[in-house]
Amino acid sequence: MMRLHLSNPIARSYAAALLLFVLVSLYSPGFASPSHVATLITLASFIGIVAIGQTIVIIGGGIDLSVPWFMTTAAMLVTGLAHGQDLPLIWVVPLILVAGLCAGAINGTGIAFLRVPPIVMTMSVNVITQGILLVVTRGFPPPPAPGALQFVAAGKFGPVPVMLLFWALLTAIVVFVERRTRFGRSVYAIGSNRTVATLSGIPVARTIVIAYAVSGMTAALGGILVTGYSRQAYLGMGDPYLFTSIAAVAIGGASILGGTGSYLGTVAGALVLTILTGLLPIFRLDAGALRIIYGAVILVTVAIAAPWLRGLLRRQGP
Amino acid sequence: MNGVVSLLRRHVWIAPLALFGVLFVVIGILRPTTFAMGQINIKVAAAMTLILIATGETIVLMRGGIDLSVGAILSIATAIAATRGDPGTVESWLWIGAILAIGAGIGVANGLIISVLQLQPFVVTLATWAIIEGSALIILPSESSGVPASWVAAAYGKYLGVSMAVGLLVILLLLWAWFSRTRAFAAIRAAGSSERAAFLQGVSLTATNTGAYALSGFFAAAAGVYFAAQTGAGSPTLGAQYILPAIAAAVIGGTSLAGGRATIIGTIAGALILTMIGDVVFLLKLQSYWQPVMSGLILMLVVVLTSLIEVRSRQGGGG
Repeated sequence: MMRLHLSNPIARSYAAALLLFVLVSLYSPGFASPSHVATLITLASFIGIVAIGQTIVIIGGGIDLSVPWFMTTAAMLVTGLAHGQDLPLIWVVPLILVAGLCAGAINGTGIAFLRVPPIVMTMSVNVITQGILLVVTRGFPPPPAPGALQFVAAGKFGPVPVMLLFWALLTAIVVFVERRTRFGRSVYAIGSNRTVATLSGIPVARTIVIAYAVSGMTAALGGILVTGYSRQAYLGMGDPYLFTSIAAVAIGGASILGGTGSYLGTVAGALVLTILTGLLPIFRLDAGALRIIYGAVILVTVAIAAPWLRGLLRRQGP
Repeated sequence: MNGVVSLLRRHVWIAPLALFGVLFVVIGILRPTTFAMGQINIKVAAAMTLILIATGETIVLMRGGIDLSVGAILSIATAIAATRGDPGTVESWLWIGAILAIGAGIGVANGLIISVLQLQPFVVTLATWAIIEGSALIILPSESSGVPASWVAAAYGKYLGVSMAVGLLVILLLLWAWFSRTRAFAAIRAAGSSERAAFLQGVSLTATNTGAYALSGFFAAAAGVYFAAQTGAGSPTLGAQYILPAIAAAVIGGTSLAGGRATIIGTIAGALILTMIGDVVFLLKLQSYWQPVMSGLILMLVVVLTSLIEVRSRQGGGG
């Protein structure tokens, strides 16, 4: 029974997150305190939300490298337009999400219709976004994040972080879309084989455009929330999320080739990455050691899921 | 028209070289001193780090892979260079050799992991990028200017009237002219074009992968040594800025991300174009922030045009 469960990559990712958490907690009891767990979940939720789009895009056989500056742009916009006031958020936040959706759709259009390779398209859009943002802001720091935004990103209802509830809601929506909607099934079909998907009448181009549009929107949402958490927006704040969003998807068991994976796995991936970051102060690790651990964990995860090992396990199976 | 299209398709380096020529002439008209030999030396020197790192990436792309760890290899090379103190001449040369060997060794590891475990190059090199950058941070925690003075002197020296950068460029072209005629090159290109076909012809997929990533690591380390010697400084995170430009230079130069197609002239032209965009921005009196906007637009333009040419020649039945 146990073997059956662990042969599922998603179950394996959760087992890894849990094991890691228990081991660290045994070593350092403060790690499992409610307030620290709340912090970990909040930090993981930012990676997780940015990785919503990344997961969908990767399952569809693509990759989104434009996440970092979409995030930073959304962060600069939300603080710049709201001027530290709560009320304007009512129109500012939807506006930015729609802007992210449209910017993501540009990625998708280039990839689906002009047949530009996803790496090149999203990389170009990323640098262009960066440049435009720098030209517009001239590097001036924007006003601080509005209080309401700070509450959503860092606040708690009793011991429960607001972000936990928000992230859980989003996860439910994403998993529903993945499994129960035509769009979700189309993404898997395109990721496994684009030609077959086209021949079976799936609207390939439209699905790809929507996938990247969603990714643009979740990157923007992530940027807005991270701004609330750090109380301000700054240039380059989205940069770490390029690596972590892709790493969360990879650790979550999705193949970078597309066609497999689930957002539930990505959630576990985001938790693993955040728990690893939490090791930093406990073991007095420096940034270099953390990077090495990140890399090693990704390698080990993808190696475990590798075809050669799966073949080996199947042969020794019951 | 169809003749032009098929010519551009067969010789992918013509278009980027032409674009480079146009940019060069435009800059030359805006600032006539550009054509002076001294200026050319400076321009090539400014582009050399990118040219070297993009050359390695070109070989991996030709093999049908992608190497995201090149930036980290560049970083670790500068980190090692900046922590060597002031070695003697012989020791200096040994260290340069050691750094290049480390780069090639990391590449061999990349290639073996990808081939033997049958993993995706994108994820593997993403992971090794983190591991190598972490190691660079441990060797050299923050930016520092400790590169041996003799290396800096060598980078700025003149040899038979040409600068180090122009000399390296000539050596690179000669090496590639030789390399592109070897069986190893043909094998890497064949494996990049179609793994199945190459395998059936007896090409070793593992050997070509390992070779391609080893060369990529070697050139990334060479770029690091050159950067360290040129600036006199090492940085453990600098290389991250070079990953996307390295891929961009290769792609602008006509290298196909699908594998099987690459030229060194195209990649060099691509790197020079990306470097000269800074000049254009400066001469047009735009803010320096316009540089990434323009690089991104040029990259996208090139890729869209290439894919339109592909579609057109496919529709025309030619090619």
